Amino acid sequence: MQLLDKVRKTKFLGTDFLAWLWFRAETGRGLFDMGGKGTAELWFDGKITLQSERERGVETITCAGEASNMREARFALAEDKEIIQATVKLVLGDNQWSFVLDSTWMNFSTFKSPKVMQDRGEDPDGIFYEKMFLIEEAVSAMDEIYYSFIKLRVSPEWADQERPALVKWISEGKYSIAD
Amino acid sequence: MGLISGSGSFTRYLTDGALPENFMEGLSEKIARYAFRNLDEKSIDERSVGWVNVMDMFDSRFAALEFLKEPYITMSLRVDERKIPATALKQYCLEAEEKIKKDENLEYLPKNRRSDIKDGVRLRLLKRAIPVSRCYDMIWNYSTGLIIFGSTTNRLCDKFVEFFLQTFDIQLQAICPYTLASRVIEKEGSSPDLLDGLGPSNSSGEK
Repeated sequence: MQLLDKVRKTKFLGTDFLAWLWFRAETGRGLFDMGGKGTAELWFDGKITLQSERERGVETITCAGEASNMREARFALAEDKEIIQATVKLVLGDNQWSFVLDSTWMNFSTFKSPKVMQDRGEDPDGIFYEKMFLIEEAVSAMDEIYYSFIKLRVSPEWADQERPALVKWISEGKYSIAD
Repeated sequence: MGLISGSGSFTRYLTDGALPENFMEGLSEKIARYAFRNLDEKSIDERSVGWVNVMDMFDSRFAALEFLKEPYITMSLRVDERKIPATALKQYCLEAEEKIKKDENLEYLPKNRRSDIKDGVRLRLLKRAIPVSRCYDMIWNYSTGLIIFGSTTNRLCDKFVEFFLQTFDIQLQAICPYTLASRVIEKEGSSPDLLDGLGPSNSSGEK
């Protein structure tokens, strides 16, 4: 299989990852071990975009608000729509980042990192290195979380425990509107 | 506002294959060849694309190797574009057509004549249009091969990959869920083919 075919056929990895992240955050398991770098905490905060491809064409819905009020988004997820973009808050140590994560290319939009405190005039290179440190720290934390998802996804634990819990959580979204 | 000086969006790439040992040799010349050049006021070029200093969009000389911040190579891709508002073009074309019809005592202008008029008006207006500048930061960690480009727009990202190849003769591979997943699977000592057997987790046929 050519690389592009594989990319196309496995695009669900990105949408599954976003659904799993939301599930973990909403079920009190939004903490991820970063090895020697401590623990990263993550939650959805802001806009979520979901999409489904049906015979009639592509349907997209966007929900905005606090995570606790994302009932329409939960309902859409339960109705077989997939998360294609989500606003994520990430905390690692004293630093907090906010960005929109995309499922297709795993790229970052409206990326906001903690403020760089150095004076631009005094040390422009210092600003560059500090900013890069902050970008790379968030990117590598998200990669680490994605790696732990992939390792789980190909392990027997996925089919035995994680997937049934995830599917149950997704299906519960059908009743979230009625609550 | 670029990625380094503020907030922004970015796409990630990896360099395809290992860098040649003498990669740093001739780097300045390669960059200089594709450095940004201002649109000539007299020219009718609509667009100019090139590298500028990531901390100063008006510096494209890199006199002190400002692109090198080890282990990074960093620059901004500056894109200057001259655009004519569609309504203005239409208005000036109508005006020109009316004048010709009056001067030549014509009731109707054939399609090819109107097309020539439009081209002429477009070129005239293009010289008067002020270019709009945009900068997109590029940060290349050459020790890891990871590249961050400050845009998520497909058209622009494609242009960036093409421009990067022209400048450095290095092909980039966009990062996506599959490429990241194969990396970790390989690191764990398994074959990425393991991913071929997976399906969406919310479907009944999923493994």
